Amino acid sequence: MLFIKRGKFDQLLKSLTGDYKVYVPRSMGDITGYSLLGESDTNYEIGEIRSFDPLKSFYFLGREKVAEDFKPNIIRDDKPPCIVGAKACDLKGFRVLDFVFIDDECGDPTYMKARENGLIISADCTGSGETCFCTAVDINPWPESDFDVNLSPVDDGFIVTTGSDKGSDLIESNKSLFTPSTEAQIEVIQQNRNTVKSSVIKSAKECRIPVSDRLRRVIKKQYESNIWKDASEDCVECGACNTICPTCHCFLLYDQKSDGRLARFRIWDSCMIHDFARVAGGDNPRDRLWMRLRNRFDKKFNYFPEVLKEIGCTGCGRCIAACPGKIDIREVLARLEVR
Amino acid sequence: MKNPYSSIEAEVLKVTTETPSIKTFLLKPKEELTFKPGQFMEFSVPGSGEAPFTPSSDSQIKDTMEITIVKVGKVTDAIHELKPGDTVGLRGPLGKGYPLTKFIGQDVLVIGGGVGLAPVRTLMYGLFHMRDQFSRLVYRGGCRNPKEFLFRKELEKWMKRDDLDMKLTVDEGDASWNGPVGVVTTIMDDIDVNFNLAKAIVCGPPIMMKFATFKLQELGVKDSNIYLSMEKNMSCGFGKCGHCRIGPYYCCTDGPVFTYDMIREYPGIWE
Repeated sequence: MLFIKRGKFDQLLKSLTGDYKVYVPRSMGDITGYSLLGESDTNYEIGEIRSFDPLKSFYFLGREKVAEDFKPNIIRDDKPPCIVGAKACDLKGFRVLDFVFIDDECGDPTYMKARENGLIISADCTGSGETCFCTAVDINPWPESDFDVNLSPVDDGFIVTTGSDKGSDLIESNKSLFTPSTEAQIEVIQQNRNTVKSSVIKSAKECRIPVSDRLRRVIKKQYESNIWKDASEDCVECGACNTICPTCHCFLLYDQKSDGRLARFRIWDSCMIHDFARVAGGDNPRDRLWMRLRNRFDKKFNYFPEVLKEIGCTGCGRCIAACPGKIDIREVLARLEVR
Repeated sequence: MKNPYSSIEAEVLKVTTETPSIKTFLLKPKEELTFKPGQFMEFSVPGSGEAPFTPSSDSQIKDTMEITIVKVGKVTDAIHELKPGDTVGLRGPLGKGYPLTKFIGQDVLVIGGGVGLAPVRTLMYGLFHMRDQFSRLVYRGGCRNPKEFLFRKELEKWMKRDDLDMKLTVDEGDASWNGPVGVVTTIMDDIDVNFNLAKAIVCGPPIMMKFATFKLQELGVKDSNIYLSMEKNMSCGFGKCGHCRIGPYYCCTDGPVFTYDMIREYPGIWE
């Protein structure tokens, strides 16, 4: 394995800005949030845990023009994204979105292009957040696949592993920036991984989240339970849980006329909002708020396991942090397990 | 790679007022756009938005298509304002149509009411084109009152066909009506087919679909032979936007035609 000093890594990122829009995490008090890397910009922090913002926003934009007039061309045409410091939960988010949006016959063209041409430089978690529960949904707090290059932070730099040809090529063409890693460094990252994992496991256990292979069963079993009514009592239908979620992919198409041209926009939508499933005739299969909360859980813990064979939740805990009603996905899951 | 979000330009050739709230639009797409009975199109008025509709015309007519639309909201209000010569957008065809080849050799029952007659018309043309390949063909239709019947002239023509057992009913009659009065399930008892193997297609308002399905079950039609044309909120039409999920399916890509055994266990299917 190879080692790169932080200063050299800054150089590497600088060299990437020619081909990519490089997004880096920056410290914002206790959290990190992503923004574009500027020129001679080294003011970023590979955070201990995931950023507050979901990384889907760089691939599947919150609002994007997807068609214009009656032209069949694809609108977005800028540099692909390079995401620095993506965590294992974020990579799992991409696996779910890839399943939804990538399709040779009828996929989302801008998402597919960004995924194909983009670069992901992921990173191990070096801490465990209050809302982290990735281990409960079968994810380790360090990237194991779905990245191009992974960084494992050590004292004054990173141990680097490659996860794709694109990643290997990048290292190969910047060879001079790297030195061989030492055994002591490898030990440090191994120890860090063990410590962080134990910490997440401990906190997930305290929340009494059902074990992952029971999640689907408890959702199905408790489908008619009063828990949904109870749990949705403090929901204000703001949709924050949806917009902040790395796997939520629902959107709506919205047409507008601007400068005499027809423009079609794809905008993030929220399944928690009343009219999400309402049909033109007025019927609404999920007229009540608790039905919509149940549907959100059903989508993540029943639908995705059925169609993708993976849980549609990454355990990132962003929805817990974002909810103004303090609805905690871990608590709801724990309540579903009859003990 | 093609852009699944962009529409094909089409010209409105003719607007027919069917009832005070229903109009049929004859459209001519600028590019070839063909569809199968049961498939749907996203129809847009530039700048006003898009909504999904099943065409109501014969799918063997290749250069034009008709779409019959009830005025119920923002997009349909804009559609109802359209005049011949106006430009609209069409995106599709989307979804799976009726698997008509699976019906070969069997008795086929079509139950369709209200504005459900629009897609039923496309389906009936499809069935008529293959008529010699089915055994008995039965159609039972209903509307709230006689004024609501769409495509009257065609209904009258179909009535005269001796290869179709057809009956219509209304919930509420008037002086012009001398047929049966009652919901569509009340004219299903005299259907004479091999229920055990018959294929049944139901299309109409949710409440009608629900009770017609129960009636078909009672008559002995298998759940796997009851084809329901489901109405869900479909935005993208190609399984990405998440709006129209029914259990493990998306109405837009796995449907909109489902057999009852596929969806019976999921909540909210009749709403």
